[in-house]
Amino acid sequence: MNVRRTLALQLIDVEKRFPGVHALKNVSIDIMPSEVVGLIGENGAGKSTLMKILSGVYKPDSGEIRLGGKPTCFESAADANRHGIGMVFQEQSLLTNISVGENIYLGNEAQFTRLGMVNWKALYAAAARQLATVQVEVDPRTRTSDLDLATRQMVELAKALALEESAEAHLVILLDEPTSVLERAEIEILFARVRALKSRASFIFVSHRLDEVLELSDRIYIMKDGAVVADLPVAEANVTRLHQLMVGRSLQSEYYRESLQKPYRDEVVIEAEDLSLGHAYRGVSFKLHAGEILGIAGVIGAGREELTRTLVGFAPHETGSLRIGGRDCRLRTPAEAVDCGVGYIPRDRRVEGLVLFLSVAANITLANLGMLTRHGLIDRRQEQAIATTWVERLKVKTPSINTLCLNLSGGNQQKVVLAKWLNAESRVLILDHPTRGLDVGAKEEVYELIRAVTAEGVAVILTSDTLEETIGLSHTLLVMRDGTVTYRTDGRPGHKPTQVELIEHMV
Amino acid sequence: MIRKLTDAFGAESARQYLPFATLVVLVLSVGIAQPTFLEPATLLQLASDTAVLFILATGVTFVIMLGGIDLSLQSMASLATVVVAITTTRLGYGSFVLALAIGAVAGLLAGLVHVRLRIPSFIATLAIGGVLFSTALVLSQERAITMFETERGYQTWITGSLFGIPNLVLIGLVVLVSAHILQSHTAFGRYSAAIGAGEPAAYASGVKVDRQKVIAHVLSAFFAALAGVILAGRMSGGSPTLAEGLLLLSIAAVVVGGTAITGGVGSIWRTLVGALIISVVRIGMTFLGVNIFAQNIVFGAVLIIAVTITIDRSKIPIVK
Repeated sequence: MNVRRTLALQLIDVEKRFPGVHALKNVSIDIMPSEVVGLIGENGAGKSTLMKILSGVYKPDSGEIRLGGKPTCFESAADANRHGIGMVFQEQSLLTNISVGENIYLGNEAQFTRLGMVNWKALYAAAARQLATVQVEVDPRTRTSDLDLATRQMVELAKALALEESAEAHLVILLDEPTSVLERAEIEILFARVRALKSRASFIFVSHRLDEVLELSDRIYIMKDGAVVADLPVAEANVTRLHQLMVGRSLQSEYYRESLQKPYRDEVVIEAEDLSLGHAYRGVSFKLHAGEILGIAGVIGAGREELTRTLVGFAPHETGSLRIGGRDCRLRTPAEAVDCGVGYIPRDRRVEGLVLFLSVAANITLANLGMLTRHGLIDRRQEQAIATTWVERLKVKTPSINTLCLNLSGGNQQKVVLAKWLNAESRVLILDHPTRGLDVGAKEEVYELIRAVTAEGVAVILTSDTLEETIGLSHTLLVMRDGTVTYRTDGRPGHKPTQVELIEHMV
Repeated sequence: MIRKLTDAFGAESARQYLPFATLVVLVLSVGIAQPTFLEPATLLQLASDTAVLFILATGVTFVIMLGGIDLSLQSMASLATVVVAITTTRLGYGSFVLALAIGAVAGLLAGLVHVRLRIPSFIATLAIGGVLFSTALVLSQERAITMFETERGYQTWITGSLFGIPNLVLIGLVVLVSAHILQSHTAFGRYSAAIGAGEPAAYASGVKVDRQKVIAHVLSAFFAALAGVILAGRMSGGSPTLAEGLLLLSIAAVVVGGTAITGGVGSIWRTLVGALIISVVRIGMTFLGVNIFAQNIVFGAVLIIAVTITIDRSKIPIVK
């Protein structure tokens, strides 16, 4: 009849807002039966929110979801499952303390249950059949923790496919960054399975690896700032085109405030020589100068996460030497790092960055409370004065300095984290994905602040979600691969390397 | 001032005064049913009866604020009564110092077991509590020890009164003021709140988390020992079971006052209100002639109702 009837899944004008963020703006997406649709966008573009709406975790503020042409509303993740939406998450959702078979049918045991007793034999037999469809040779009675990550990913796929038995409609399986923990060979296997299973399900494939999206998808949706900006058949797409659409502008250097990028000073703040830590990284050497931004690029597992964790006292290095401010040190706790003048702006500011249930003022002074203490007592008046000064200097939008940080938007929360370290007079800031989850305006403010503090001599080590951001901000760039530094280059304005130049050394 | 308060607590502003309102309503309702309850003498008696419970609850507030729990406080208090009872003849006032020192050491031990061996405070203090209880049994040779006239001479700072105000009430006030300053005006108090509300962020901000936890346990056991010393004075003796039943009431007092059992939110003032609520319910029931054995039924109900209305649980995704 008409096109609509043949659609497996359709989103019409879906809207979603969070405090301070317009996460989805009029998003409409169509998915045909047996189609693999790629979904790409920068972090904060709205992919995760969209996935959460499709999987029943969030409800849209307005708009419609249609399954097989019928308007549907998911009450919960379990409800989405019943409607035939399966999920394979990047953070693996399997419970590691139970068997593979139990995981596959977790929450769906009813079909094997009689009089409240589970027929385990039938369940494991069914689980074995599901595992066979994804060609994983594992006994379903194996404890999940005994499997490697790649196999677990396949088990997740089997779990999603098992929904077919109980679901009412055509299966739609969401693959959210499924390849991030996999090796190339394992990725090949996963892709082969997905292609083989197309007759049974449609797929939505979310990934930040554009080459993989091009390889697997039939059609690609590009999101930016909460909206769908383009929808391309794969034949018309290539990496450059996708990238331009994702970023939404030709590379504009002023986005990263490059005109404010001042040459760094001669003074060396951190000197790392031949640092190694187990399998994570080895032989890493670099010098960080006052006022310098050192960007570290690399794929997940290249060792840059562990390296930054070493510099903030979470994972002390095993061999090599680390000198901070001329002092030899091995940072065993964050407290030692703070004493050495190192401040950490973590990727998850709501967990490691801020105490959400404390006020803005208390968070700003947390890392340097000693400064405010007279005869053992906190000088409240001085604390209020200091907090007020920082809130004004960094233009933190908050009803009052006594508001709980919980009630601030992401960008303003990030400014409070920054204020905390500036107040503690940190000479080095470790920025671990500092703009993650922020919208464009908030990002630009953060960039401006980073420029301002480096101009005052603070040194910065930066790891970021996008190469573009790393290149745009950094004075110097390191590329890591498999735990070693494979490339280093200059990032002065006008001499910035291209993304391709770095990618060559990343993979 | 009011605006400042609402700014500080937002939507929680009304909720945090609920325990105090509950206390006022309770006092008035018992007073209406039995007007003698509202006479100054009765109220002073109520205050001195609350002192031991309040001091125990104050100690455990420090631990609960940073997200832990101290289950050894009742055994610690009992042990302190035994120590005072058997050493006053020889040591005089020194027996009090000895009991408090034992408290501090026991707290230090519990704290170190908790942070160094990475054992949950729940288990660490349960085990230490067992050790303390047995120590009290051995020291007392499983008997209640009564103190006599000469020994009681050393207890007048507990049993006496000043200008008509029982010394117990004054001791309670000293504890209130010093504990409040510790909790609300020192770095230790701030760090405790930060650890209770978001330990990973506090740790990443350079807070020496382990040290604060040990301090909290030392404070808790010290205040438990102080409560024991006072109990010994009031009862003119010591026994390994003298503080029995007070563990639950202490934790109930903290929680009923509006301090979150998960930590991060709370104050000594709230604990005072909580302890008074528990006392009023207990004494009020006696006033109203409720069978003493039926009182725990009312306690259970009050605890559940108080916790339900003081903390907005809809925001807490997982309750264990």
